[in-house]
Amino acid sequence: MSTPRIERLKAALFEAKREISLERALLYTESHKQTEGEHTLVRRALATAHILDNVEISIRPDELIAGNRTVKPRAGIMSPEMDPYWLDKELDTFETRPQDKFFISEDDKKIYREQLLPYWSKRSMKDFINAQFPEEIKEATRHKIFSVNQTDKGQGHIIIDFDRLLGNGLGTLLDELKVLSAKNSENDFYKAVVILLEASIRHIRRYEALARKMADDCDDKARAEELLKIASISAKIVTEKPEDFYEAVQLFWFMNVILQYESNASSLSLGRFDQYMLPFYRASLANGEDPALLKEYLESLWIKTNDVVLLRSTGSAKFFAGFPTGYTILLGGLTETGRSAVNELSLLCLDAYQSIRLPQPNLGVRVNELIDREFLRKTTETIRMGTGIPQIFNDEVVVPAFLNRGVSLEDARDYSVVGCVELSIPGKTYGLHDIAMFNLLKVMELVLDRNKDNAEITFEQLLEEIRQDIRHYVKLMAEGSNICDIGHRDWAPVPLLSSFISDCIENGKDITYGGARYNFSGVQGIGIANLSDSLAALKQFVFEEKRATFKEFIDVLESNFDGERGEQIRARLMNRYDKYGNDIDGVDTYGADILRFYCKEVEQYTNPRGGVFTPGSYTVSAHVPLGAVVGATPDGRLKGEQLADGGLSPMLGKDHKGPTAVLKSVSKLDNYLLSNGSLLNVKFTPSTLEGEQGLTKLGDFLRAFMKLKLQHIQFNVLNAETLRDAQKRPEDFAGLVVRVAGYSAFFVELSKEIQDDIIRRTAHEL
Amino acid sequence: MTSSEERPMSCNPNRCHDAAVEGTPPPSTGRVFNIQRYSLNDGEGIRTVVFFKGCPLRCPWCSNPESRSSKQQIIRREAKCRHCAVCSNDVNECPTGALELVGTDMTLDELMAEIERDEVFYRSSGGGVTLSGGEVLTQAPFALELLKRLKRLGYNTAIETTGHGNTTLLLELGQFCDEVLYDFKIMDSKVAKDVVGINLQRCLDNFRQLVDQGTHVVPRIPLIPGYTMSFENIDAILDFLSAFDLQEVHLLPFHQFGANKYEIFGMDYEFKDVPVPTDTEIEAIRRRVEARGYTVNIGG
Ligand code: SF4
Repeated sequence: MSTPRIERLKAALFEAKREISLERALLYTESHKQTEGEHTLVRRALATAHILDNVEISIRPDELIAGNRTVKPRAGIMSPEMDPYWLDKELDTFETRPQDKFFISEDDKKIYREQLLPYWSKRSMKDFINAQFPEEIKEATRHKIFSVNQTDKGQGHIIIDFDRLLGNGLGTLLDELKVLSAKNSENDFYKAVVILLEASIRHIRRYEALARKMADDCDDKARAEELLKIASISAKIVTEKPEDFYEAVQLFWFMNVILQYESNASSLSLGRFDQYMLPFYRASLANGEDPALLKEYLESLWIKTNDVVLLRSTGSAKFFAGFPTGYTILLGGLTETGRSAVNELSLLCLDAYQSIRLPQPNLGVRVNELIDREFLRKTTETIRMGTGIPQIFNDEVVVPAFLNRGVSLEDARDYSVVGCVELSIPGKTYGLHDIAMFNLLKVMELVLDRNKDNAEITFEQLLEEIRQDIRHYVKLMAEGSNICDIGHRDWAPVPLLSSFISDCIENGKDITYGGARYNFSGVQGIGIANLSDSLAALKQFVFEEKRATFKEFIDVLESNFDGERGEQIRARLMNRYDKYGNDIDGVDTYGADILRFYCKEVEQYTNPRGGVFTPGSYTVSAHVPLGAVVGATPDGRLKGEQLADGGLSPMLGKDHKGPTAVLKSVSKLDNYLLSNGSLLNVKFTPSTLEGEQGLTKLGDFLRAFMKLKLQHIQFNVLNAETLRDAQKRPEDFAGLVVRVAGYSAFFVELSKEIQDDIIRRTAHEL
Repeated sequence: MTSSEERPMSCNPNRCHDAAVEGTPPPSTGRVFNIQRYSLNDGEGIRTVVFFKGCPLRCPWCSNPESRSSKQQIIRREAKCRHCAVCSNDVNECPTGALELVGTDMTLDELMAEIERDEVFYRSSGGGVTLSGGEVLTQAPFALELLKRLKRLGYNTAIETTGHGNTTLLLELGQFCDEVLYDFKIMDSKVAKDVVGINLQRCLDNFRQLVDQGTHVVPRIPLIPGYTMSFENIDAILDFLSAFDLQEVHLLPFHQFGANKYEIFGMDYEFKDVPVPTDTEIEAIRRRVEARGYTVNIGG
């Protein structure tokens, strides 16, 4: 149970209307106008410093941890220097769009259109990228064969070296940088970092002053004391390194907010919180601090991570619904020397989640052969709560996957996750993990269409053409990604962030210039489930059973299965051919082979920072917009219908044989190659997980997941609402198994009364 | 519902026994109506349950009516049928799979291949394979071959049975099982005979011999309103069990999950309107069983 303070803080998050604040954009622009002629690195540092010095700051009622990106909770901020156009286009629809609504006042719209838009037009990163993209790439992105992301906002998708921050303190870091900068006076990167560290220190001092002033004005003695404590901690950690948990958490959060002003990017993720915070947590316990109070600090911080939301374009919000900011944390895992890294803080992080239950931080758990039973139990117990948190990552696959990309053994064991599921080495990687998405199903559609009138075509030729097209478009995708890469270097370097990424300081280079130790570009291959199902059905229906000629078949697809014959064909395609997700080699192999081919193509390309491209397979919510651009497919999927969710999950309702078969199908993919990350959703009904036995068996299931060498899994424990959907759309839930007291059945085959009964029980269980 | 082809070894338990005695080789296939993976309730850990088709009993509350007949049956699932202009009346041609052949004849190799698929899950959970039915004793010679093969490879094995069948075969099956889940139903031999068609004496006798030979047997009591749930009946079962050194009893409360299937199979379902046991009723029985010193597991 949380304390009343925590309950109040949580409630306050959602009280106010979500607004857009122009403050950052205006301050940034104001500074930018005065720094003409300086190097981009310095210009940007000065602009960020200007924000840090002038942005309105606040400490909200009840807060124990200071640091708000905006005065109003959960407000969006703008970075028109990246792309002023989409902001302009969408100003009038932010409030009414279907996903991730924001409010913006008429006055602010006017300011945007009269001051910001005219200044940044023709000056933004988007202008550069558009000018650089050759027609062929534009054409491919228009057809949604692939998309190049982050052409309109900061990169993010990175974890800073929190040990460096917490272990040294800002004063020491500033001293170090000043020396370097003096020695290398021509180095603009060092110069920029010094500007920003100094500005960070001034920014924290502003909080100290604010806390003191608020304490003076406060009649409530207890609150005044809390504010004075915030002031004294801020005064200390502004230059010194933290020495206990409260101090460490406060410095940690200040720096997270500061980095948000510099980059306004998705997923400045938090890495292995239970590792770098442990010494501070233990120090506090050794000082005799009350564990309940330490838990309250942790819960306060957890709430804070929900305050920063990302303003995305309507298109991007479709792909990443629910404004995920990506305060992702991975718990447990391995130490540098390969022992289990689970500790008391790993457990406490899950406990704090259980009492708060907010979407951020997005917690994940690393499993491996050495995982501790108590921690595994806490993990399954948290999963059973049914919120999809924590997600699970498998060290037995991810560590070798990184070794295969040239990462050292020690660094590989230290991996964590940025954004949703993207794998990264904390504090050492600039991975552009979300730079592009590749729609494999769209490529199949192109190939089928192109051969419609080819009476001689064979199935093997079609497969070969699909491979050729993948090769061709992967090349274009890499080219497009590299243009975007350069765009970020020339428009949006992030010197402060870079100063916390090894080996930028040693190299004297920003991450966008290739200063990091590891430099990847991550590109996702999407549509593997639908592709496998489509190829299997096509092969049998047309080439083996010869139920239609290839041309007739394509006509049926083009008609979107129109008419009685079309519908009958669709029924057969959906029901009579094997589907991915049921542990059937014949169909699973298609997906496995093509995904592998995609991976091997991707890994041949290099980026301007001297790193390699790495493949991944996850969609987050992109299966909806990516499906919208693909016509009817041979798996019986209708025109525009969504693709399979997740990335590696089977198509909705096609997993008839339950969760073990799903895992087996996914295990046939070469998961070691997906070093940028992959995503698998598996559905469970709560009754499966009932009681002590339910927890044990879920733990066993996770061990099997680990041994099967899957990379990622996340559990969707079904709630009553989903089951009601299943009643309405039985075809989408054909494989849904419910278990009550010793008996299992397919939910959709039960009578309405019994379904209702199960729904009642389910509602009760959660 | 139509029935096709008579199963080659379709038999009553006695004939099967005869075949075994005469040294006839076991049949090369078993008739299975379902293989359920990720089963959590029929023994230790994560299991695969193989459901054999054919059962000599006629429990009116049965939740698997498709298990009764030993023949292959073609059914039409109304929920799946798209009502084509002209019905193909052919399992292979039906586009939706609404027409379904219930009962697949599988060789040992085919069954083993299916079972091996969840190997990793058995290993991680201490699970394994459970043979169920129908009544597995109706296909005992084949089941025995399967169990032998499973045991040789170190699988954890279990069977579910009512014990209504040939003693020799049952004892032999028991030797290759880590666990036998043994159903107790009605303890009045006349009612038992009339309602479910069981030879109670033989079942009890078989149970005794199975325990005596050292097989690990777990008694299971389906809790059926009006039939097995009376304290009198429960006590009769417990009195019988008191002669043995057993630790655990499973209680399986009646449920209505099978109701739809009766319709699909065009069979009468006497239990249509029978309410499921309440939590209070189940608790009372649980306490009664626990009072005799057993660990009780509800739902298996
Ligand atoms: S062929 Fe199948 S789907 Fe069509 S009417 Fe017959 S049973 Fe129904």
